[in-house]
Amino acid sequence: MCYFMYIDSFGFLSLVVTFLTLIVLWFEKPEIYPPQKERIANGIPAELKPFECRQAKISYSGKLMVDVCFKYGDGPGAVVIREKFNFGQIPIMLKSKRCMLSEKPDHHTMVSHKEEPSEMGGYFILNGLERVVRCLVVPKRNYPTSMERSAFRNRREGFTDKAVVIRCVRDDQSAVTLNLYYINNGSARVGFRIRGRENLLPIGLVLKALIDTTDHEIFTSLTSVYNDKYEKAVGCVGTQILGERAKIILNEVRDLKLFTRIQCLEYIGEYFKPFMFGMENDSYSAVAEAVLREFILVHLDNNHDKFNLLIFMVQKLFSFIDQTSIPDNPDSLQTQEVLLPGHLVTIYVKEKLQEWLQKTKRLLQDEAENRKKNFDFGSLTDVKKALDKNPSKQVGQAVENMLKTGRLVTQSTLDLKEKAGMTVMAERLNFLRFLSHFRAVHRGSSLAGLRTTSVRKLLPESWGFVCPVHTPDGSPCGLLNHMTASCRITSYYDSEGHIRDFSKIQKSILSVLVGAGMIPALPKLVKAGPPEVLHVLLEGRVVGVIPNDRVEKAVSHLRKLKLSATSAIPEDLEVGYVPISMMGAFPGLFLFTSPARFVRPVKQKFSPPEEKNNIELIGPFEQVYMEIECPDGGNGGRLSEFPATHEEIHPTGILSVVGNLTPWSDHNQSPRNMYQCQMAKQTMGFSSQGMNCRADQKLYHLQTPQTPIVRTATYEKYRIDDSPLGTNAIVAVLAYSGYDMEDAMVLNKSSVDRGFAHGHIYQTETIDLADEKSKSGNQVFRRSNLDKKSHSFIDSDGLPYVGQRVKPGEPYYSKYNEVTSNAFSNKLKGSEAVTVDYVAVDVKNKKQLQKANIRLRRGRNPIIGDKFSSRHGQKGVCSQLWPDVDMPFSANTGMRPDLIINPHAFPSRMTIAMLLESIAAKGGSLHGKFVDATPFSSSVKKPDGIPEDESDPLINELGSMLTSRGFNHYGTEVLYSGIYGTELTCEIFIGPVYYQRLRHMVSDKFQVRSTGTVDQVTRQPIKGRKRGGGIRFGEMERDSLLAHGAAYLLHDRLHASSDHHIADICSICGSILTTSLIQHQKKTMREIAGLPPGRIPKKVTCVSCKTSKGMETVAMPYVFRYLAAELAAMNIRMTLQLSNGAGA
Amino acid sequence: MDGQKSYQRYPTIKIRELKHDYAKFELRNTDASVANALRRVMISEVPTIAIDLVEIEVNSSVLNDEFIAHRLGLIPLTSERAMSMRFSRDCDACDGDGQCEFCSVEFHLRAKCINDNTLDVTSKDLYSSDHTVVPVDFSGDVGFDSGEEQRGITIVKLRKGQELRLRAIARKGIGKDHAKWSPAATVTFMYEPEIHINEEMMETLSLEEKTSVVESSPTKVFGINPHTQQVEVVDPEAYTYDDEVLKKVEAMGKPGLVEIYAKEDSFIFTVESTGAVKASQLVINAIDVLKQKLDAVRLSDETVETDDQFGELGAHMRGG
Repeated sequence: MCYFMYIDSFGFLSLVVTFLTLIVLWFEKPEIYPPQKERIANGIPAELKPFECRQAKISYSGKLMVDVCFKYGDGPGAVVIREKFNFGQIPIMLKSKRCMLSEKPDHHTMVSHKEEPSEMGGYFILNGLERVVRCLVVPKRNYPTSMERSAFRNRREGFTDKAVVIRCVRDDQSAVTLNLYYINNGSARVGFRIRGRENLLPIGLVLKALIDTTDHEIFTSLTSVYNDKYEKAVGCVGTQILGERAKIILNEVRDLKLFTRIQCLEYIGEYFKPFMFGMENDSYSAVAEAVLREFILVHLDNNHDKFNLLIFMVQKLFSFIDQTSIPDNPDSLQTQEVLLPGHLVTIYVKEKLQEWLQKTKRLLQDEAENRKKNFDFGSLTDVKKALDKNPSKQVGQAVENMLKTGRLVTQSTLDLKEKAGMTVMAERLNFLRFLSHFRAVHRGSSLAGLRTTSVRKLLPESWGFVCPVHTPDGSPCGLLNHMTASCRITSYYDSEGHIRDFSKIQKSILSVLVGAGMIPALPKLVKAGPPEVLHVLLEGRVVGVIPNDRVEKAVSHLRKLKLSATSAIPEDLEVGYVPISMMGAFPGLFLFTSPARFVRPVKQKFSPPEEKNNIELIGPFEQVYMEIECPDGGNGGRLSEFPATHEEIHPTGILSVVGNLTPWSDHNQSPRNMYQCQMAKQTMGFSSQGMNCRADQKLYHLQTPQTPIVRTATYEKYRIDDSPLGTNAIVAVLAYSGYDMEDAMVLNKSSVDRGFAHGHIYQTETIDLADEKSKSGNQVFRRSNLDKKSHSFIDSDGLPYVGQRVKPGEPYYSKYNEVTSNAFSNKLKGSEAVTVDYVAVDVKNKKQLQKANIRLRRGRNPIIGDKFSSRHGQKGVCSQLWPDVDMPFSANTGMRPDLIINPHAFPSRMTIAMLLESIAAKGGSLHGKFVDATPFSSSVKKPDGIPEDESDPLINELGSMLTSRGFNHYGTEVLYSGIYGTELTCEIFIGPVYYQRLRHMVSDKFQVRSTGTVDQVTRQPIKGRKRGGGIRFGEMERDSLLAHGAAYLLHDRLHASSDHHIADICSICGSILTTSLIQHQKKTMREIAGLPPGRIPKKVTCVSCKTSKGMETVAMPYVFRYLAAELAAMNIRMTLQLSNGAGA
Repeated sequence: MDGQKSYQRYPTIKIRELKHDYAKFELRNTDASVANALRRVMISEVPTIAIDLVEIEVNSSVLNDEFIAHRLGLIPLTSERAMSMRFSRDCDACDGDGQCEFCSVEFHLRAKCINDNTLDVTSKDLYSSDHTVVPVDFSGDVGFDSGEEQRGITIVKLRKGQELRLRAIARKGIGKDHAKWSPAATVTFMYEPEIHINEEMMETLSLEEKTSVVESSPTKVFGINPHTQQVEVVDPEAYTYDDEVLKKVEAMGKPGLVEIYAKEDSFIFTVESTGAVKASQLVINAIDVLKQKLDAVRLSDETVETDDQFGELGAHMRGG
């Protein structure tokens, strides 16, 4: 299903080779082992299962073993030492190639491995927690994007805000971005970053350094897009001043006195030598070659290809400057792709391996140079000993840390803007929340702080790829998007699961193109450009030009071949044909085969009928220039000149999985659908089928969920019935008790008694005694033999009985220190009783139990203050559990509603679909069938060609279901007051609506305090719900009491109920700090005499005045005394002047 | 009092239909307050017996203890004894622990699945210490497929090796405390409608217009006599006071063609029992309870001491 791209992208590991002087070091045969246990059974290490990792709070990871080869010296006589190194544990993604679940799609085997039957993988297990790598939006690879950014001006003096930027990605997924800036004198600069620092080179220098060429060739190449013949014609991108600019570019190089390629290379090499590590002993030209290879257009291997692409980029830049083409939008999906989890892990592993090699090299060099020891490269033990300072296992540890924290620790930035937040916890609150983690694409947290809103905009380019409804409101709005249900990400693997051979694919595409009339770029024969011929770029390589009159035929031919199973053209090839236009986007034919692109299926209308498969996968780049028809009931304003070549499969294709589940969402006000998408993800439901095998910290569980009567087609497709999240409640819309004002709702107490929305919270506590190992010795689970009282709670193994009810303050497990022989029993915190649901122990250490999971169950039946919501963004809080007999009832059926909501919930929110749902569900339940509520289905043409809405409006169809069973057409009924037995003046709208129970419950949130703990320093009440603190009575609250003139109340809150204090003050010196209490000896005397302790007169003196004459008692907040003490510490004396009575 | 006219009324009940768990009767010569009081008492104050305390010995089923206890509580038990039983809280015989024969009934359940088939544990597996208080048996009822063997109400399903062993105490209670003690599935009443058709006006209508009048009501209240082609009232009680016909007649421009009034003093009751008490007995018990409550009101005027006699009922009447 939708997770494939996740798993596909993982499992690809490249070889890294680094050359050192004299010694050559390289890697061979990298191998990741499947996860294994430390324990060895029957000679082979036992398989580690994912569920064991979750329970034991360990990571699901496999060993990375790589052969490291050392070669000392040169020539054929040199010996190669080969040694297997363990590079530590690399976390394994679930259901990836190395995961034990990858080959087991069968439900029964999944259950036998204690997994969900429908487990889809795609996440990592780290310390028992499930984490997903977030899909990050990055610029589209290998496509030169022209853009305008004011930041470019600040690069250097004379720079403009315009540039062409290309993010080049190598086969191993590492990327280097290359910028081509326009500068005011008419020339351009090539910019690229080496370890975060940007280097700028004149374009002419780079062009000349790449290949042996002449000034004339560069001139003709650059000016090839200009032709006098087509002056100002449609699609003409070149202008007359192009020749002038070419001259400026060439003059720049000549002014540097560089004429030949070798001179250019030496110039570059001299400049870059300090930046290139490990090339200290190389020649300048070798350094320059390395710079060109490592940083300039790294997706291409051939310098001629690089030259051609640079020429193309310069042409695009100048066309943008001369306003013959418009810039690309870097915020639109057209110029974006996704950074996949596997790719991130791959480039991170590569980076870490490279770091290890660098360090190894340095260590070995140091050893070799240190003549004191006789170091022998031939001896493996010597080499290994030298490498002790650089443990290879750090690599695995670094990767695991990256996945655990989501932070990238790198020097090279990996060409990414983000450094943190790459991974998030995969919460299993319910299935929809879990699923959404895998469907989310994030623009990056660095944009969240931006004041501009342009990045958050919903652009038409994202139609069909990104859901317009499913995005949170608030700060991540528009930055955290979700893919539509039909959207996929391309991967390294084809549909059969084989790794793709990209060079073969590209060869066959080239042969098709040549057959369709393309003139190859090599040998250089044609010197022309748009509008006569269009450039053809295949994966960022200029492969040739194609005459403008033949391009459309070629495109449709390619599209046909995409569908054919026999051709070598991949089904997800993106044919980005940008036609010539007057001042439109820069024209050309851009073909993409790479992984990490968005694709989605649409119907191809021109494919021959004998071809069974007419579903074509298209990308966001090409979509903009395609004619795709959407069944919306009309023709969508389409002109006859542009007939539709493609058709949407269904209008719901624009919605995400969660967005698709809202019934009749096309009848709702759109923000309500957004709210529902958020609330669906915080609903209590059946979060997991294999709950008994899990040890999540917190799991919400609905006891008696139901399947909705009104549901969309997506509901069945994604089998939400396996993890349902709601109950069909009979909802009456009326203002009845006064307890339904302001989105409150009245629940029927009897319904709740009978099990409506009953639920539980499962909380797992993991106790690892090895972690809390104290200095005083080993701890084990064991109960005390002396404390017989605890034996009814704790079993002989020190753990609680399963099914045991534990009240706050009662013990539920006991640990025993073997050295001090102290038993300590842990008592339950909090304010509510729990039930012990499950106890699991770690049997790795067979003699002594050290690690245990205790799962506690807390009942969460609906009470006043719990939150509920329908599927239409209509949330409400239960305000009363109203007795059944007081509820209004229907005279005919005797029905009483399960809940009552206020009619004011509707006029301003306009959730018409909720009203429709109520009518439809009523009709559906009367007829005993489910009702389909797929949005937009009324505009989809039926097989007979008549759109549904012309036949009968939806409400009549639903209403007739009711009238045929003797109910009112509009879903209303005559109800009688349950209290008086008289008829209510209005007919009441009543019917079943699917209600979700949200996870926000008062039992987890209420905070009350009378008296309790106070802060040690200020003696004011503490804060925090967990510690029994109070809620701050803040400035605004104070202001309102002042405004009310409630002075006594104010005094009570801020003083009497807070840090009321009676201080002794010396009126002579005015100090409160110098007073001291004198102890009386009489007290003990009285006690000896057996007399009751009488009230002893308090005697206070001032230490500085040495008298108790001026002693007075004053009530004040205790912080005031604290303030005086603090000031005294700063050598500031506070004096109080006491007076009696007012005004003095 | 003498010499004044008495407004005392003598309500009458006429039974229309009586089945084990269903009753339909007319209540006349009284007003909505009495009718509604009767309805409310039937739903929430007629005592029944239901499982209230569950002690679980072994539970290795997939459902947790609370869930099973909740399900057990909702099983209807035959409660003819309930009226004569004591509330556990008022029971003198057992010092308030609520486990004596006067105020409780003990149940046992032992089930273990030993083969590969799923075992349904149902209400039939509950063994009662009192043969008069047993789970309600629906097997004889119409509406149930008698072809299949009736196994009672499913409590939990067990797979091989799973076991459930428990002891349950059933007690007397009322629906106000918890819905499981409510003997009524549904109790509802309607005002008896009085429908007048203006025959003269009706004569002016064409047959089509007559049909449209008849069909305007979603329930079958009116019909056309096939012989005389006159609009007749077929079933006045099918009328739901939805005013559909009146709206239709208004729309046709013939107001007064049909006139409908609700009789303020006669009610048609429908009682559906859960099976714990027979529907007829439910009505009788409800009247008894209602009388007791009225007694409490009357006596509370006289002395405060009598309150103790009526226990919590009296306290309740005082608003306590």
